[in-house]
Amino acid sequence: MFGYILPDKGEMKIKEYELFRAYYCGVCKSMGKSFGPLCRFALNYDSVFLGMLLSSINKESVSLKKEPCIANPLKRKWVVKNSNSVDFSADINIILTYYKFKDDWTDEKSYLAKLGQIVISPGYKRALNCSKEAESHIKKSLEKLHALESQRCSSMDIAADPFGELIKGIISIGCNWDNDKKKEAVEWLGYNIGKWIYIIDAFDDIEKDIEKNSYNPLLLQYMYKDEEVNEFKNRIRDEVRFNLIHTLAQAASAFELLDMNNKSIIENILYLGMDKKTKSVLEGRSCNKDEKSL
Amino acid sequence: MRNPYEVLGIREGASVDEIKRAYKELVKKYHPDQYRNNPLSELAEEKLKEINQAYDYLMKQYEKSGSQYRNQSSSYGSNSGYGNDTSLYSQIRMNIMNGNIQAAETLLNRVTMKDAEWHYLRGLIFMRKGWYNEAVNSINTAVNMDPSNMEYRDALNRIAYANNRYQAYGYDRRYSAGGPDLCTMCQCLICSDCCCECMGGDLINCI
Repeated sequence: MFGYILPDKGEMKIKEYELFRAYYCGVCKSMGKSFGPLCRFALNYDSVFLGMLLSSINKESVSLKKEPCIANPLKRKWVVKNSNSVDFSADINIILTYYKFKDDWTDEKSYLAKLGQIVISPGYKRALNCSKEAESHIKKSLEKLHALESQRCSSMDIAADPFGELIKGIISIGCNWDNDKKKEAVEWLGYNIGKWIYIIDAFDDIEKDIEKNSYNPLLLQYMYKDEEVNEFKNRIRDEVRFNLIHTLAQAASAFELLDMNNKSIIENILYLGMDKKTKSVLEGRSCNKDEKSL
Repeated sequence: MRNPYEVLGIREGASVDEIKRAYKELVKKYHPDQYRNNPLSELAEEKLKEINQAYDYLMKQYEKSGSQYRNQSSSYGSNSGYGNDTSLYSQIRMNIMNGNIQAAETLLNRVTMKDAEWHYLRGLIFMRKGWYNEAVNSINTAVNMDPSNMEYRDALNRIAYANNRYQAYGYDRRYSAGGPDLCTMCQCLICSDCCCECMGGDLINCI
């Protein structure tokens, strides 16, 4: 995953912010505990969101504990403990990171990716044992995704579909079901979030993909022809925005039907954080600096 | 039945006005129009039913019978006033309504004459699959082929309306839509400093 799903920090209450951060630390610690400290570098916001979303939908009663952290040994921070959802999300993050390294190695022959893959592979094997079902689902979805890429699929909807299915499946596996109807809503939420991630990432990568001549559905759908990058972006921006916002609107419509914990934080992320991210990526102000350190 | 106050998201013992306000908001949020062409429409209907029940219960508690909203809500049936469909098209529509997207798709592929209705139905199927770009393109084609058809236009407007609603909700939710920004605060501080200096004092000693 890519780290696009963030809350709008300025619009959070302090207690919401602290709880979100506790989930952040919870996922990080869970990764460290299960897979070794090096794997903690793979942490990203999307998996924190996944962990918190699942934990909220499953209505887990989590416990919070103040613990020190390697990154900042002097300051003790709140950490979410005893959450199956957080552990599950840590597994998923490791599996996805493993596949990302693997792809980068096969696509670009990046030695850094190979190194990453080697470092992470014992963790990957352990995660595989914990979540076999999720792993095979991820593998299947990514195969579909790559097949579409090699066919040079020229529709963002079709190209994004496997990734939507991937997230939908992960969330669906991570939930304890007591009600089929709810399952529909959760899956629709997952599908739309996955689609949003895929499309926003495609837009974010336009420059890079032009440079490297790599596959990007937007370049094909809107028939990019040696024009100025910004001109191309201006040409497609409104339509892409419309699609991204509609995807979020659909995700929000599913969210409104769910009964879960931490509603206000998830609401912040869905309505404010992701909307803000959409704007900043589309306007080309994806500035990572103030987002990395929470 | 769940606690009706909880269902409406208000504190216990809220006033009639508060109940009405909360109810109105929720009806807007879960109105079938918001969930048209959305696979979760049934779930939204259930939610609305629960809200209606809670509202009715509370209103009875307050010994007020008959609300304008309830009458409105009971008329949210599925209004099926389709005109001159061929039987295949109405079959496809039935399938889309019941959520049998795959069956609808198979039937649609059997149609050889690709007229406006065909593109419209294809758009609805795309909507259900979550392929919004394809959906909008298909429905646009339908509108261009048959500009007088209001149903097609309606569908397009509804998609756009969902976007506006999503963004409006986010906007309303923000804490300080009208508060001073940093620039205004700096201006105020500098002005105050000038004023103080006029009078012989000093507010910010480095300026």
